[in-house]
Amino acid sequence: MTSATTAALASEVSPEAQLERIAAIGYPTKRDETWRYAPHAVLSRLSFGPAGAIDGGMLSEIDAQIPALDGPRIVVVNGVVDEARSDITGLPLGLDLSTPVPGAGGAADRIAAHPDSGVEPVADAFVALNVAFSGDGVSVHVAAGQHLDPPIHIVMVSTPAGTHNTSCSKLAIQIDAGGSATVVETKLGAGSEFGGANTRTIISMGDHATLEHIVVQDVPSTQVHLSRTEVTQGVGSELRARLFNLGATYGRLAYDVHLAGEGARADLSGLYFGSGDQTLDQQISVIHAAQNCTSRQAFRGVLDDGSTGVFNGAIEVRPGADGTDAEQSNDNLLLSNRAAANTQPRLEILADDVACKHGATVGQLDEEAMYYLRTRGIAVDEARRLLINGFADQAVHDVGIEVLRTWITQRLGHDDE
Amino acid sequence: MLHVKNLTASIGGTPILKGLDLDVGDGEVHAIMGPNGSGKSTFAHTLAGRDGYEVGGTVTLDAADLLVMTPEARAAAGVFIGFQYPVEIPGVNNMYFLRTALNSVRRARGETEIGARDFLAIAYEAMDLVEMKRDFLNRAVNAGFSGGEKKRNEILQMAVMQPRLAVLDETDSGLDIDALRVVASGVNALRGPERSMIVITHYQRLLEYIKPDFVHVLVDGRIVESGDHTLALRLEDEGYADFVNHELDHVPGRPMSGAPT
Repeated sequence: MTSATTAALASEVSPEAQLERIAAIGYPTKRDETWRYAPHAVLSRLSFGPAGAIDGGMLSEIDAQIPALDGPRIVVVNGVVDEARSDITGLPLGLDLSTPVPGAGGAADRIAAHPDSGVEPVADAFVALNVAFSGDGVSVHVAAGQHLDPPIHIVMVSTPAGTHNTSCSKLAIQIDAGGSATVVETKLGAGSEFGGANTRTIISMGDHATLEHIVVQDVPSTQVHLSRTEVTQGVGSELRARLFNLGATYGRLAYDVHLAGEGARADLSGLYFGSGDQTLDQQISVIHAAQNCTSRQAFRGVLDDGSTGVFNGAIEVRPGADGTDAEQSNDNLLLSNRAAANTQPRLEILADDVACKHGATVGQLDEEAMYYLRTRGIAVDEARRLLINGFADQAVHDVGIEVLRTWITQRLGHDDE
Repeated sequence: MLHVKNLTASIGGTPILKGLDLDVGDGEVHAIMGPNGSGKSTFAHTLAGRDGYEVGGTVTLDAADLLVMTPEARAAAGVFIGFQYPVEIPGVNNMYFLRTALNSVRRARGETEIGARDFLAIAYEAMDLVEMKRDFLNRAVNAGFSGGEKKRNEILQMAVMQPRLAVLDETDSGLDIDALRVVASGVNALRGPERSMIVITHYQRLLEYIKPDFVHVLVDGRIVESGDHTLALRLEDEGYADFVNHELDHVPGRPMSGAPT
């Protein structure tokens, strides 16, 4: 972090102030509902400090992993923008994509000034650490009324090295009134050292803005990945969030949506696909704070070996948020008798005239379907693959970008269609 | 072609097939009729290789021992079963499923696989046979299909797989008269000197459309009478009661209470 950006962020984020805050609130424990299934012993081995550039030695393995999307791209490595891997030339009109420029009032200012309006402050030590140590912030700003077609790709890479093993980074996305864009956040890692990343994304959507926000987490299984997103939506705005939680020994996607403007719509879907001893944790919260908003949460998990899936999904309907239409579903497929799925809906409804439904399932591969496929000549492994993919594809299908859909499909171990 | 000798099958110690004998020659269509609970579906699934049965006796297809094979190996050997209750598989595209099935058996037989483009021609031809619309291929396998669509999808699969032996388990159940006609004409189009069929049905109605070479009456796990298609007409008139009672009369030590319902 340069001295200039430190100064710009100082009022809110001095590391000392944040560390004092952590000392006061402590780290999350199993008693914290949203951290109940986290591997706390593993988390205690994470170490934090200021972002710092690393030499490019292990980064060559990253290049091949990055999905080749059309459109601008910013690559952040251990909290520091990697300009050589980024491409922000020829930006379309109406898009301001910036990384901090010392003294020029770039992204850092915007992030520092970003009002967390409406979003509850999160009293959580990892958020405080992010505030203290996130390096170069990245800012995506779509001007009012602009419709941007090519996806904006933000790649966050963690390669544990140096004095501390965990990096922090921050992304701010602002879509002004009537604007629309697609932002893809890809979380990757390199190296075989233990460590992790702690990322935070703050999204502000103006009235009638549209955003498709795709998050793909696929860091190595030696790493921990903590991702948190906070969204505030204006009147009539529409968010489509697609969350893929695939990598890490502990992969956590926390996603909070605040429907602040009347008639806002949030459609969240996702897939977690675990094996080995992974724990994949989704902490989803949608707050209906205005009238006539709709939200959908549809998450699927496929869990093999000794992996654990967590879905903790909250729907909170504030007083006066009449006309709310909210639904939530969580379906899990267990491929091993050692795998586990923990699913918990949390509904708090304080308004009248609310339609709210939720459902959760945990099941195994359908034996009758296996038999049916085998009578058609399809061998056991292939039949399993077909059924697993069929289950997962219902989440992958929601992704509008074909290149990314293919990337995810290949990552899941099938490259058909 | 198919030789079934003293076939027995039980589930959890309860015998269902009790010594079934059947010989099916090349190109022949055999109808198996019988009351509910007589073992018709068990026979079909014993041929297809479903888990969970304790099976005895011998079944050979073109001299190969079917009973030792997995279901997928039986498919590669040329067995096809049309399900009474086709299984819904959400998320699995019908076309992809069909092509995977065809290429799986081709691979097992050491034949070349068929690419997506060539497969389309095969699929379209099969679909015309069962009067299926093109968009059908892009839907998930049987998911949300009507009863008639599911049964037509079974015949479509049969047309794509081109089996040596087709076992159709109550393909007529749940069909209205129009769907029955479509399904039956699909089956008839697939008749040929290289393909034999076992058509399992409770009612004679299907046999008005698919004329069998032989009709067998299955009661309490055994074939108790065989004849030509006139036997089916007789069953239509007289029902199964005669056969049920007749059969039980000749089983030593069995009380009358065992009659299937």
